[in-house]
Amino acid sequence: MKLGEKITKIPRQIIYLFMAAAIVFPLIVPIGMPINIMPQTKKLFDAIEALPPASKPVLISCDFDPQSMPELYPMLQAALNHLLSKNVKVLVMALWPQGAGMGEMALNEIAPVLNKKYGEDYVFLGYKAGAAAVILGLGDKIANVFPADYYNKPLSSFPLTAHLTNYNDLSLVLTLSAGTPGYREWLAYGQSKFGISVGAGVTAVSAADAYPYLGSGQLTGLFGGMKGAAEYETSLIKNGYKLLFRQATKGMDAQSLGHLFIMIFIIIGNLGFFMMGRKK
Amino acid sequence: MNISGSIWVWFSALLTLCILSFLYKDNPFYRFAEHLFVGTSAGYLIALSWHNTVYPNLYVPLIKEHQYLYVLPLFLGLLYLARFIPKFSSLIRIPIAFLLGWGSGVVIPAAIQTDIIKQIQGTLLTRNLFTRWDTAVWALIVLIGVISTLVYFFFSRERKGVLKPISNVGIVFIMLGFGASFGYTVMARISLLIGRLQFLLGDWLGIIK
Repeated sequence: MKLGEKITKIPRQIIYLFMAAAIVFPLIVPIGMPINIMPQTKKLFDAIEALPPASKPVLISCDFDPQSMPELYPMLQAALNHLLSKNVKVLVMALWPQGAGMGEMALNEIAPVLNKKYGEDYVFLGYKAGAAAVILGLGDKIANVFPADYYNKPLSSFPLTAHLTNYNDLSLVLTLSAGTPGYREWLAYGQSKFGISVGAGVTAVSAADAYPYLGSGQLTGLFGGMKGAAEYETSLIKNGYKLLFRQATKGMDAQSLGHLFIMIFIIIGNLGFFMMGRKK
Repeated sequence: MNISGSIWVWFSALLTLCILSFLYKDNPFYRFAEHLFVGTSAGYLIALSWHNTVYPNLYVPLIKEHQYLYVLPLFLGLLYLARFIPKFSSLIRIPIAFLLGWGSGVVIPAAIQTDIIKQIQGTLLTRNLFTRWDTAVWALIVLIGVISTLVYFFFSRERKGVLKPISNVGIVFIMLGFGASFGYTVMARISLLIGRLQFLLGDWLGIIK
């Protein structure tokens, strides 16, 4: 077997082993590679940072499931950490069934540590089916879509939600989106129709598709994948926030090393292919 | 090293290893974990749909509050099950027609506004963009990219004369788009692996914090 052929026939298990090593090593022994903050992350961070403590509440929509947790859950943690530390009120909801679990878990992790009171500082609305109808309905009357919170207590019984009418009473929608329904639905039925500002945290797979909406100004800002989450965490630290979780930042060394190995394997594979072609 | 004492963490970790074992080759452990995931997800979704959708939006108004108008959506919903009775299977067209009518009415104007009008607005060159050199350069690149890509997908004329070089420029932009998407996809997949390894090494084995 010639060298070129040998290269192109490396067993995939060997490649997986190298990839596993490239990712496990920096997780155990962090390298501390620098994290540059991209303009789209800065735009969304600045938009949230500019909200004064007495501003209208922010609505966070958990439009993802456990499969996208490594990318979107750190964004949710960081956003809650950011908003609640600034004393900005927060509403959390989900357009994905499993998103409700994510939202509840993050609130339980962060709100008690920051001494925030349920009903006054934050309210958990839970999941509601029918994305388009939900987003359109919120523009009409929030209480029609969510008459009660996740725990079946009427919204009228909480100081935070008792006087909320529609998007006019919200300062921003932050959707953490892993697909459909997600940021596109919020743009189509929320931003375009009612003019509410929409920021998005998306999985890396859909980040490239989200850029046109950023360029046109439809999205206020964008966190793209685990890198976006790490940039958000870094922005918070740089601005003096005490961060309770830094899961995305901890994964960035592994991310960089993983990419490096993939690039090396792409080059090796192409080299082998080129060598085989030359021989023929 | 601080190994977890929680049975659920152990259960979760073993299921993760079952799924990862597919990287070697297909095996009964992988298939067990896969089937368990599908079954659990379906069960969770059904329970959640009942508690969040059917119960508050149909059962409560119809049965508890006696709003009998809700019989109509119930009937429309039940017509979906007509699919299983060959004699009445054509009745499924009624709820589908209703849903298509409603869906088209909601989706088409929103899509035109979001994906066409606002995107065209975002592509237009305005004076504001030329107040700084960098925004002006990017705006021109976006404009050239949009026009050349649209020319590439213009199939009503043979690609020759002026159309050929423009569509070739379009190919470059399309390839750049594919490259960016591929790069982001690789990043996403590695992120998922990192998430699982953080769980295995951190929550389960306690090697990392």
